[in-house]
Amino acid sequence: MNLLCLSISHHTAPVEVRERLWLSPEEIVKTLPETLRLGCSEAVLFSTCNRTELYAVTDGRLPHESLIRELIKQKNAGSVVHESHFSVYRGPEAAGHLFRVASGIESMVLGDVQILMQVKEGYQLAVNAGTAGFFLHHLFPSAFHTGKRSRTETTIGTGAVSVGYAAVELAERIFENLRKKTALVIGAGETAKLTAKHLRGKNIGSLTITNRTQNRADQLARVLECSTIPFDRFRESLADADIVIASVRVDTHILTADDVARALEHRHTGALFLVDIGVPRNIDPAAGKLENVFLYDIDTLTAMVDENVHKRRAQIPAVERIVADELHSLELWHASLQSTPTIQALTAMMETIRKGEVEKNINRFGEKDRELVELVTKRIVNKILHTPIAYMRNGHDAGPTERLLSVNVIRRIFGLDHDNAKRDDDA
Amino acid sequence: MNIISFLNILLPFGYAVAVYAYGKAFFADTPWAKSSKRWILLSVIGTHIVYLAARTTAFSHPPATTVYEVLTLLAFTTSAAYYVIESRTGNRETGYFILNIPFFFQLVSSLFIKDLLEVPEILRSNYFGFHVTAALAGYSAITLSAVYGFLYLMLYHEIKQTRFGAVYRKLPSLENLERMSVMAIWLAFFFLAAAMLAGVVWLPQAFSDFSYADPKLIGTVFIWLLYGAALAARRSTRWKGRKMMIVAISGFVISIFSLTAVNMLLSGFHRFN
Repeated sequence: MNLLCLSISHHTAPVEVRERLWLSPEEIVKTLPETLRLGCSEAVLFSTCNRTELYAVTDGRLPHESLIRELIKQKNAGSVVHESHFSVYRGPEAAGHLFRVASGIESMVLGDVQILMQVKEGYQLAVNAGTAGFFLHHLFPSAFHTGKRSRTETTIGTGAVSVGYAAVELAERIFENLRKKTALVIGAGETAKLTAKHLRGKNIGSLTITNRTQNRADQLARVLECSTIPFDRFRESLADADIVIASVRVDTHILTADDVARALEHRHTGALFLVDIGVPRNIDPAAGKLENVFLYDIDTLTAMVDENVHKRRAQIPAVERIVADELHSLELWHASLQSTPTIQALTAMMETIRKGEVEKNINRFGEKDRELVELVTKRIVNKILHTPIAYMRNGHDAGPTERLLSVNVIRRIFGLDHDNAKRDDDA
Repeated sequence: MNIISFLNILLPFGYAVAVYAYGKAFFADTPWAKSSKRWILLSVIGTHIVYLAARTTAFSHPPATTVYEVLTLLAFTTSAAYYVIESRTGNRETGYFILNIPFFFQLVSSLFIKDLLEVPEILRSNYFGFHVTAALAGYSAITLSAVYGFLYLMLYHEIKQTRFGAVYRKLPSLENLERMSVMAIWLAFFFLAAAMLAGVVWLPQAFSDFSYADPKLIGTVFIWLLYGAALAARRSTRWKGRKMMIVAISGFVISIFSLTAVNMLLSGFHRFN
């Protein structure tokens, strides 16, 4: 398997290096043909915020350094990125690495679901650019299948692993449909922004932002395409909100239990979900004791995240088993690629010998026996070839390595490589 | 073995398979169970319809003349009401908790049911069949609303106490559970109204000792009014969430009291023998 993988990721390089080698789709499309010019027969390249990886089919003689230099040259990043920032994988190891990446167990956020989509996008770019060929057309769909199996057969991708997403996940356990709900985000800091983004991602029905600095609220509202209200009036809209995310730096509670109780009196809908991710806390903890009010602070959400990360880690061995299983199938497929030409070469060689011997000796037989000689010699050859061909075709019990070894032994015993080389020389 | 005896043995097994499939889907996410549980339940409900029709035809009376006939009818109406709610809400995760009830009812019924050819003429009436079936459908819906109410309270406390176990992970959202419970209350309200209407028209003609002071009638009217008031309050005020679920469970407890204690302890024309 002449597969080569060059990978620069959070495992091998800090962010200031990785960001220099991040490639846009346009840059990927420009770089792919360059890899073919250097001697690769096929190539797929993808780039995310945590990794840039090149998968190439080579003749085994192309030094990986030249490809690394090409990648660095494309981004003009020679002053920051060095060869030592790359991991290099070859053959089945490279395929196994791709399968692990697609499964999310190589991701910074363990079990990340986005990586599979990003790998698919990278593959699609190579398909469009015409740089993905026979081998990569089989390898990448196998990787997608591995990623899908990992997520359906294990829980590697379940449970929120960020505070913002944990809050949204909790909201989904309370409310049936977030599209019909109204959210109020108090604050425009990073955590509030991320949580609001997750809510937008879940198609929250209505999103309103309030912040002490109106300008920052307006900026965030433009990004999230939502409305704002002045900070001194947000309590008035509390009765209309189903979800309240509070994340501002204050010394006292900006929402007291009385504020929440008053809002409940004017509400016509069910539960009120309050998320307090501010430190010191923004919402009076006594509000959580009110009926149909669900209040969570940063500690609760962090504990949820920690527990989910722990559960995801426990799934790694199960995912590794899926990766090994899919890698085994890939190697069997690859070994079958070797056996088919060997079967053809062996059959052709035996037929050549048979024909030659029949032609040399055919005059020793009478007219009426000649047809019988043809038949008998063909039968003898077929019987001799039956066992080795059947083994090469159906030897599924043997592993891919053993099968490849057997194919090589058969090639040597019958001198098939020598025969081919001789024919090449003659040509 | 005739068809009735065969189906009588088959039905508890059918419900057991349905409970097993819903349980495997809920607790173990087993793919075959997830894809086939609904079809299994539909087959069992279909078989139950054939069984009830065969009994009615063979014995020339609706299957509601003994406690064990009522139990098989209850098993049918509960599973059918669950199927309707599952189809309407699209939520298929609560079947395990519900279907244990019809399984238990059908098991007891199949073990003790007798083939009665001789029943009082009054019990052969179609009015009687409609009255009892509507009442039992109402009580089945009450049972469902209580189970959903109970699941709601379990999930409510898990979320409030930040205990995120299997109930948290697997059950539908609080809002969804509440919606299913309220839908069951509407069904109960409708069927009890139908049962009472049929009763008021037919019972005075059928029973010479009919009395509007009958304890079961009073109990049913009380439950019907309670649910009616709760549904009205839910529409006009803040009677949502936990309060509504407590009403659902309370209605069930009162219904059980009305069906059992009143039936066994107090005398009147309105009881199963």
